[in-house]
Amino acid sequence: MSADERQILFDIQGLEKSFADNHVLRGITTQFRKGDVTAIVGPSGCGKSTFLRSLNLLEEPTGGRILFEGTDITAPGVDINRFRRKVGMVFQQFNLFPHLTILENITLAPVKLHILSKQQAVEKARFLLDRVGLPEKADDYPAMLSGGQQQRIAIARAMAMEPDVMLFDEPTSALDPEMVGEVLEIMRELAQTGMTMIIVTHEMGFAREVATRAMFIDEGVIKEDEKPAEFFSNPKNQRLVDFLSKVL
Amino acid sequence: MSLSLTERLKLNFLEQDRWKYMVRGLGTTLLITVVAAAIGILLGFVIAVIRSTYDKTGHLKILNAVCKVYLTVIRGTPTTVQLMIVYFIIFSSVNKPLLSAFIAFGLNSAAYVAEIVRSGIMSINPGQMEAGRSLGLSYRASMWYIIIPQAFKNVLPALTNEFIVLLKETSICMAISLKDLTYGSTLISSQTYDYFLPLIMTALIYLVFVMLLTWLFGILERRLRSNERR
Repeated sequence: MSADERQILFDIQGLEKSFADNHVLRGITTQFRKGDVTAIVGPSGCGKSTFLRSLNLLEEPTGGRILFEGTDITAPGVDINRFRRKVGMVFQQFNLFPHLTILENITLAPVKLHILSKQQAVEKARFLLDRVGLPEKADDYPAMLSGGQQQRIAIARAMAMEPDVMLFDEPTSALDPEMVGEVLEIMRELAQTGMTMIIVTHEMGFAREVATRAMFIDEGVIKEDEKPAEFFSNPKNQRLVDFLSKVL
Repeated sequence: MSLSLTERLKLNFLEQDRWKYMVRGLGTTLLITVVAAAIGILLGFVIAVIRSTYDKTGHLKILNAVCKVYLTVIRGTPTTVQLMIVYFIIFSSVNKPLLSAFIAFGLNSAAYVAEIVRSGIMSINPGQMEAGRSLGLSYRASMWYIIIPQAFKNVLPALTNEFIVLLKETSICMAISLKDLTYGSTLISSQTYDYFLPLIMTALIYLVFVMLLTWLFGILERRLRSNERR
């Protein structure tokens, strides 16, 4: 492979995670560069969500190191809150704040962290609401929105922090089938703007079309890491072959 | 000799301005309730946050242990005894019944508020905290802006209950000779030898204020719930 000049955002070295005596991640080493759109697939319980959640330290690694933009974020004394501003996260269950309006959901963090003034944050939120196609929902509460709409708002909320990379934890798994498309469409547009994205997903079609990289995690390690075309049409690892034969 | 109802009303409440015992007593009762409720909410929230932080993250171990001892002692002993300990032992050298009542009822209420609020905090989906943290908000900021407002809304009915109990329980102030509403009515009885009217009147006044409290909290609850409508 020719020398890749793009900035390394995440440099993960021998990442491990155990819950009590359950060894979920068994040494993951990889890098994510600026502009990578990585789809992570694997059987349930393989550790792919744990891996993603470790990347912004929602799970604390029990071994190995994670370097973000050159800084070891697993070292003691690191300002985790400052690091997390750079890493957006979209959850399976959306996790919008039900007691706040859509506008307040999006402006809360930028305003409270003194990144933007109230007025700037509102302007930005309205711009982002336009982008996710829900400008008329600004003053609604999350409970008034459909699942697909809530997830689009959750994406806008993460984008309001202007992250360098966005993590998606099965963003369409909790949605009714007819709403999956609208969320994937927003993510596709986001990918086209050059956003670095790491996506745990079961949407193989999306992974194949939109991702620049497909990763198979099984038994707590990366078993295959390829360009999607190769990954889906010519899988090498036998477990991946079995997995794809079940889901495709 | 039996008096008519009008005469008894006159005797108990109008003669020698005896109604003033009730009004002054009511003022004291309400003052104690409000101050104790304020202490209870403030201290109760702090304890609840300490306890739930320990439950969720394992941090604040020592503070949590202190809180647990506090809750055990307060909830395990009668309020009357606590009130008398504060007045007759802790403040024995100074005669401060009102201050004693503030402190005793405040500390007592805090223990109950703490457990109510803690149950509210624990009932909020962990995803809410994760969403806050993933945006770069600190644990404290996420607690304050995201978790507490939702928890407060959920526990409002239980808090209403606690404050109703508090209002009524202040009637044990007689134990430290503090002239609250109940004591006021017995002062009238001791002068008129009539227990019926002063006590019925006292009961009615408590009832009216409990209903008022319930109504006010009901309004607050409806306002906070308005964003759940679809």
